[in-house]
Amino acid sequence: MLRTLAALLLLSTSALADTADGDALKGMSWDQIVEQARGGTVNWFMWGGADTINRYVSDHVGAILKRDYDITLNRVGVADAVEVVNIVLTEKEAGVTDAGTVDLIWINGENFRSMKQGDLAFCGYTDLLPNNALVNWDNPAIANDFGVPVDGCEVPWNTVQFAFAHDSADVPEPPRDMAALLDWIKANPGRFTYPAPPDFTGSVFVRHVFYHAAGGADALLGPFDQAKFDAAAAKTWAILNEIEPFLWREGQTYPNTIAQLNELFANGEVAFTFNYDPSQFGLAVQAGTYPETTRSFGLADGTIGNTNYTLIPFNSPNKAAAMVLQNLLLSGEEQLEKAKPEVWGASPAIEISRTSAEVQSGFAAIEGHPSVVSAEELAKAALPELQADWLTAIEAGWQAQVGN
Amino acid sequence: MTGRTNPVWLLLPVLLVLGGLFLAALGLTLIRSFRYMPVLGLTEPDLAAYAAVLSSPGFLASLGLSLWIALASTLLSAVLALGAALLLRQTFPGRQLIGFLFQMNLTVPHVVGAVGMLYLVSQSGAFARLAYAGGLITAPAQFPALTHDPFAIGVILLYVWKEVPFITLILLANLQSIGVDHEATARSLGATRWQAFRHVTLPMLMPGLLAASVLVFAFAFGAYEIPLLLGASSPKALPVLAWQSYTDVDLAARPEAMAMAVIIALLGVLMLLAYARLARPLAERGRHAR
Repeated sequence: MLRTLAALLLLSTSALADTADGDALKGMSWDQIVEQARGGTVNWFMWGGADTINRYVSDHVGAILKRDYDITLNRVGVADAVEVVNIVLTEKEAGVTDAGTVDLIWINGENFRSMKQGDLAFCGYTDLLPNNALVNWDNPAIANDFGVPVDGCEVPWNTVQFAFAHDSADVPEPPRDMAALLDWIKANPGRFTYPAPPDFTGSVFVRHVFYHAAGGADALLGPFDQAKFDAAAAKTWAILNEIEPFLWREGQTYPNTIAQLNELFANGEVAFTFNYDPSQFGLAVQAGTYPETTRSFGLADGTIGNTNYTLIPFNSPNKAAAMVLQNLLLSGEEQLEKAKPEVWGASPAIEISRTSAEVQSGFAAIEGHPSVVSAEELAKAALPELQADWLTAIEAGWQAQVGN
Repeated sequence: MTGRTNPVWLLLPVLLVLGGLFLAALGLTLIRSFRYMPVLGLTEPDLAAYAAVLSSPGFLASLGLSLWIALASTLLSAVLALGAALLLRQTFPGRQLIGFLFQMNLTVPHVVGAVGMLYLVSQSGAFARLAYAGGLITAPAQFPALTHDPFAIGVILLYVWKEVPFITLILLANLQSIGVDHEATARSLGATRWQAFRHVTLPMLMPGLLAASVLVFAFAFGAYEIPLLLGASSPKALPVLAWQSYTDVDLAARPEAMAMAVIIALLGVLMLLAYARLARPLAERGRHAR
């Protein structure tokens, strides 16, 4: 009787492909992991704000997962990855250690640090993924997520770099460096604004001003330094308060989200918008939201770039299926597919030179959207991200000194 | 079983689930607000989170804004709803159609209403475009700022638009049950229209009006999405501030978010108590008026 019960239990777990035990997976070969993953489900929590990205994930990636691995992909859209961090944190507090809701998160930066801070990530397995060989882990911008070592806790998915967008019919010659942009703002009252931090994108804009005030990013890299912060912050708040009367609504209020800034730009109320992912400009033009004459550009003094990743929470019950998905996303074919401007236009996180000849020629054949500044162009002047402690200090300082 | 079972027993399963979940969540929130979160290595409870929240200038500004939004929306809605109920009670051609249209927006979710509000009254909305077409303004910025403004006009407008039909519906039901006898008696005894309303109808309506108003006040005070969509970036309404703190990238900020949630809940309880104290004498007066 007991044996039947045990057999039944075993059968039911294998049918559900429950692979909560990460340590057991780490002892397996990749083929065994793929076998374990069959019949599983991946609850992938990710930012759901772009229809094209959602379509690529749900329809394209989901179909391949089902066809090749019998894995069901369940994409769960969220406004901000921090919501997912809260879910996993609450589950950990409630003692849910092997039956969590979340199997995979699209994540980076501050939220990754939170996951590490709370010991919420499944780590030390990335070497098992065959496509991990395509990743250049010697590149510090890949091996560190906002200055925090990745340590085998996440798998890179895309690389992005901040860029501005403008309507070339409205502003034919946009300012090309931070000093010129600040002058432009003062010369054109009401035509510029940025989302209030802690909005992700608004926060990045403030960091560009912070770099400008500090005389470059180099002195700020490394662990948080109060003296360096104080010196640069004082100048930053002075600059931002000086331009405030020349902003949209005379700076009495700021957009709460990047979506709101995008709307202001789409309506022609402000002359610039910006994004961490320049491919979004092309998608917005395709969708008819932005004018055809939209163009984008970086700054001569550089714009901030980073890598974003996927991460498996410590309590995911479907770790094997999530690993199969991560490996698929990392493949040359999938990195190429999402790099196509009509699909998404995302820059790859792998070394293209390590992919097959077919994939390489595919990448070479991609023609960028005219509204999207090319990754090569932006990469000529790229700035690193600061460690998360700097970010929180900058955001808190902005709220106290500028945005109140 | 032939005797009547006490309904409490029949309700018990539901009460246990609902109450248990509610109290457990409240308890967890309370514990975390005392900075007890072993997951983060916080094991010695203290009141630091409350001290931090109460001493920050942003919190008081947000509290003030939330009280203003709730008070202004409730007063405006109550007055307009009272007028609407008295008008809709009368018989006139097309009354049913107007009554139907009037109640239609009860079915519209708040968020949808807020988006509609943006399309209508924001500086790039339909009214601004009409004003531009009519030559009244030459740039979006010249249209008065009705959304994301310091006085939360957009937020209050949305609540008034949404809550007037709600209160009106309650008042109409009350008016129906009260009937016209009392008023007619007062009028036949020489009271003017105003006197009959002031001393007879209004007191009898007051308990219902007050109850509906308290609901509207509590909702407007505690709702998150409308101030987020239509409110200015600073100060933020209290629930927006609490959510921002709850989604702070630094996990160590969670206790402050919980402290804020507890404070909001406490204020809600205080409001309920105040309502209970107010409602009893009013109900008495309402009965006397009959």
